Amino acid sequence: MRAVTTGKIFNVILAIVMVAGLVSMVAGCGRDESASGEPGSYSIHDPLVRFKIATTTSLYDSGLWYYLEPLFEEYANVEMDIIYAGTGIALEYGRRGDVDVVIVHDKAAEDKFIDEGYGINRRNFAYNFFLIAGPENDPAGIKGCTAVEAFTKIYEAGMNAPGSIRFVSRGDLSGTHSKEKIIWSNAGFDYATDIQDSGDWYVEAGKGMGPTLLMANEMNAYVLADISTYLSYTQMNPLDITLLVEQDSIFLNVYAAIAINPESDPGTNIDITNIFINWLISEEVQNVLATYGLAEYGRSLFNPIGRGQEDGSADLPGFPPVEAYTEPVPSYTPVNSIIERYTSS
Amino acid sequence: MEEIWNGLVRALRLIFTFDPEVMQIAWLSIRVAISSTLIASLICVPVGSLIHFNNFRGKRILISIIQTFYSVPTVTVGLFVFILFSNKGPLGGLDIMFTPMVMVIGQVILISPILTGLTITGLSGVDKTIIDTARSMGASNWQTAVAIIKEARFAVMAAVILAFGRAISEVGLAIMVGGNIRGFTRVLTTAISLETSKGDIELSLALGIILIFIALVVNFAMNRIQQRQ
Amino acid sequence: MAFIQTVNLGYKREGRDILKNVNLAVEKGETHALIGPTGAGKTTFLRLIDMLDMPGTGKIFINGVAVSHSEKSRLEIRRRMAFVLQKPVVFNLSVYDNVAYGLKWRGLKKHVIREKVNDILETVELVKYSKRNARTLSGGEMQRVAIARAIATGPEILLLDEPSANLDPVSAAKIEDLISGIIKQNAITVLMSTHDMEQGQRLADRISVLIDGEIVQTGNAREVFTSPKNREVAEFVGMENIIDGEVISNEGNMAAISVYGKTIEAITEHGVDEKVSVCIRPEDVTVSLARLSSSARNVLEGTIIWTAYSGPLCRLEIDCGFPLVSLVTRRSAEEMDLKKGLKVFGTVKAVSIHVIARH
Repeated sequence: MRAVTTGKIFNVILAIVMVAGLVSMVAGCGRDESASGEPGSYSIHDPLVRFKIATTTSLYDSGLWYYLEPLFEEYANVEMDIIYAGTGIALEYGRRGDVDVVIVHDKAAEDKFIDEGYGINRRNFAYNFFLIAGPENDPAGIKGCTAVEAFTKIYEAGMNAPGSIRFVSRGDLSGTHSKEKIIWSNAGFDYATDIQDSGDWYVEAGKGMGPTLLMANEMNAYVLADISTYLSYTQMNPLDITLLVEQDSIFLNVYAAIAINPESDPGTNIDITNIFINWLISEEVQNVLATYGLAEYGRSLFNPIGRGQEDGSADLPGFPPVEAYTEPVPSYTPVNSIIERYTSS
Repeated sequence: MEEIWNGLVRALRLIFTFDPEVMQIAWLSIRVAISSTLIASLICVPVGSLIHFNNFRGKRILISIIQTFYSVPTVTVGLFVFILFSNKGPLGGLDIMFTPMVMVIGQVILISPILTGLTITGLSGVDKTIIDTARSMGASNWQTAVAIIKEARFAVMAAVILAFGRAISEVGLAIMVGGNIRGFTRVLTTAISLETSKGDIELSLALGIILIFIALVVNFAMNRIQQRQ
Repeated sequence: MAFIQTVNLGYKREGRDILKNVNLAVEKGETHALIGPTGAGKTTFLRLIDMLDMPGTGKIFINGVAVSHSEKSRLEIRRRMAFVLQKPVVFNLSVYDNVAYGLKWRGLKKHVIREKVNDILETVELVKYSKRNARTLSGGEMQRVAIARAIATGPEILLLDEPSANLDPVSAAKIEDLISGIIKQNAITVLMSTHDMEQGQRLADRISVLIDGEIVQTGNAREVFTSPKNREVAEFVGMENIIDGEVISNEGNMAAISVYGKTIEAITEHGVDEKVSVCIRPEDVTVSLARLSSSARNVLEGTIIWTAYSGPLCRLEIDCGFPLVSLVTRRSAEEMDLKKGLKVFGTVKAVSIHVIARH
């Protein structure tokens, strides 16, 4: 037996200190506490209650959530984590129960999500319109057309005169991509067989709205975009492509908030979610939406859902019925689970 | 070119005015990358040594597999970690999705192959006669292994620096499992990705310059530590 | 039993015999040299003795105790030895740390280590390089570090594998001096390998000749160099002239041997009709222009086939029915104007001739 040398003891102590330091470092990877009130800083409201929302990229990129986040945190006294993703991924987060609420803009996908039992309490709270932007000289001649006519012309130009025009698609299962597919379908095309891989003219970017706009700009191509991203992006980076087609009923873009069904994900914060959804359709937020971006861009980026009655949008096909944005969501009682518990025991 | 110049100016301004949000983002980047590099090193250097010093069936294949994973896309690791730690995944109960903790775990997985593989390469680079020398001088197997690792310390340090570089510069994983939550899981790379998608090219460039600056400082510090040994 | 004793030690690598039935005994305090051509198995043998490799067959006894296969006991024995490898290798550490390593591994206290290391660095004259990284030293200095490292642990057995083989002549001489100093000052058992016969002669008490994995001959330097046991040893120890013949008469060990029609007289116990080889060192062949009238029994007449000067010496071959190589001084070669085609007499004393059996 050899006595443990001092060198060995030192090494052990060193190892312990290192591990301890490491653990504290990792554990310290939490939220920084800093004083609230100044721009760019955040306060912890209740770190135990972490309210997570997954929002569509167009709302996030417009900066709307930067504005709304502190308001709701103050209102509900919770800590809000906002994750942005295209509608497809946002709904996937919802299915897996990684968030408490999803904010999306794809009616068909939303319906499926709710039908499958993942979502409840959908409320529409805002809307705006898509648009088609493209080269200023408009080689396909779509200016003044309807969306369906414009898409048909773009297709014909792309197929008949290869290299004359291009169309850049999001190609990422986002709400914008869904809308594009609907327009192709309305124009009488089968998206998978007629459009995808039909030629060099059709480019699938697989990117968010901003990079897709940038790509279309570089390629001098046509692109379908939502008005809010288009306006905020062009404000920051002057683009060569210009707005060619808007004002079409098919361009209607309605944003919805859907609570994650507690039956599907028992860990969800359904009470806060309900407060949140009701808050979104409250007068306070609706008034914010009415003016958001007005000063900066000369027009508001989003319309409060109630404005549909005034500007006639409510008559457009696809506009949600009144109760889908006026009726507050009821507080949650886990009826099914109570019944199940009684019947099974 | 003007944009790059403006980016540089803006980067300097953000650094020297200690812009609170940028500071917070940069600090999180550093903490996450250093944590994952340290944890991965504590795991991978011993594991790499174990693989190197033991002969077993399939050793070559194992090393080839490890080396193949040098080039695993960050998003793929992100997806894997996402499936693991997502609320309905096998480790969903830990409830660490969209936190810096899960980003660290993801980065550890991401850089482990590089660290393990380069540790093995570094140890293989040690002159075989050094092993005999150590043994002949009365070193036990364990003491021999430690001596060889010490011999390979420059190569191992290079592996650690490379791993840190991959950790701090990756974006796919951080966005996938971190969620790029403002003030919580936003790191430099995800901020750059967001600002680029929002169209703020200058700010993106500035953040990129800050990231490179941090990498420079960290590498410099590591090199100093290495030279002092 | 000797201090180091191997019994039928064998070792194979990739199916090939590297060592075959090696039985070697090294007494305590002895310096024993293994000589043999490159690839004879010297390094393998030393590695087996140092417990670095596991023998294929046979046993090693250290101080009368058979070495077991357990790594723990092998390590214990290894810690009583030191091994200086042929290639000078040092750890990428300071000279001090290199020398201290073995002591650290044995768990010695820091101040003890410091004292010992500083002592030894003084012995090998490397104190001034104490803090320098050993990798920056020259080959000779590195080998000195290696030797310092080896003796620092106070080994009972010192194994040296061609300690000066890779060094320039000056460094090699310095290393040899160092080793001979260590041998003299310490009651240490040394087993060294060398392909330099003269080094073996200078340093060792006894020499074993290892050829093709087998020990062919063991004895003191004189025995091995003057009386090689067989043709291979004879070749290796520098018997350049090995000529086949047959004993035609032997009276009181003074034999007459018929070699290619000539008769050579030599002292040997081999009897009549035995097939033998006659071994003559080139330096034992005296060359003259006229027949010498000396006591030398063998005077061989022939013509010079070639001459080759190297340094202060001249090597030449005389065709006297069989080729006979001779080594003379450059001076005498020049005086006699030795050159190709010249008729000369080669004279060899009967006592300078070694006779071995031919198989």
